[in-house]
Amino acid sequence: MGEKEQMKQTPNVQRPTPNLEISWRGATSNIKHRTSNIVWRIVDLIIAGIFIFAALTKIFAVDQLIADLGHLHFGSMIADFQNLRLADPVQFANDIDNYKILPWPIGVGLAFYLPWLEMFCGLALILRRLYLGGLSILIGLVAVFLVATIAAKVRGLDITCGCFGHVSQNWSFPAHLATNVAILAGLLALWFNVRSENRTTL
Amino acid sequence: MRSPLVRQILILVALALAPGIGQAVYFQHKISWKSPIPPSELATVDQTRAWGENVIWVDARPDDEFASDHVPGAISLNEDRWNELLPQFLAAWSPGKKVVVYCSSLSCNASREVARRLRKEAQLPDVFVLEGGWEAWGKKNR
Repeated sequence: MGEKEQMKQTPNVQRPTPNLEISWRGATSNIKHRTSNIVWRIVDLIIAGIFIFAALTKIFAVDQLIADLGHLHFGSMIADFQNLRLADPVQFANDIDNYKILPWPIGVGLAFYLPWLEMFCGLALILRRLYLGGLSILIGLVAVFLVATIAAKVRGLDITCGCFGHVSQNWSFPAHLATNVAILAGLLALWFNVRSENRTTL
Repeated sequence: MRSPLVRQILILVALALAPGIGQAVYFQHKISWKSPIPPSELATVDQTRAWGENVIWVDARPDDEFASDHVPGAISLNEDRWNELLPQFLAAWSPGKKVVVYCSSLSCNASREVARRLRKEAQLPDVFVLEGGWEAWGKKNR
């Protein structure tokens, strides 16, 4: 059907103006941008959740709570919360010491300090305050931990990572490695996303 | 972007310090900053002398070192042959006896590991690590 013929049939219909096209395209790109933002926020929450969970397992003795959660014993969880206490840092200090990289006193200091650092960095990701700082610290921590885990394996050390307190006590080396690589990939994806956002806003 | 990033990192590092120090103060009597073994799990050579016959000595060093010399009456129990040696040790153990584990020196880890496994896997109470290990025992007894 020719254009002239079509205009005869529907005389009141006009071709969309270039301005309208631009605003329509703008709206679509806005929706796309919002959707992508939501996806990145979800990634933020997942990664932050992992670190906060890891920190909590080291700061508090949550073994019973996790066991009850795993077996869906919700009734006894109130009692678990009432009996919740600070976890013994000796275990985590021993886990750090097992890597045979740092002297014992530094390992003890880290056993007290690192869980809180993880916790604050996780909160920074959730609250979007000090975001890049939190992200950078977590990338550094996971990268160092990954290298240390591989180095320990190469040196033939039989280690437990201690990454999630007692929960990860019996994890195999491939499980350690896979978890760390996945977390590092997530963190790097967040980092590059923030950097590209910063570039477009500049 | 670089300077705010450094500032953010410093703020987070500083924020985590306060609760970390608080926790360290709270646990000051439960963990030793000098050695991985808490003071309550360490025994000195003099202490073991005071316990007299009530002690079972466990040598956590490798077989060849045990064969060359050891504390009189000591039982060899190292991690290399744990499953093989543990039953022999358990046969010699009786309730009420104090178990003192030693390895070569202050810096070795074998005694700590063997003591930990005896407590955890064999559920034994009163398991101690000899402070200074075989070296310390040698100095006091020669």
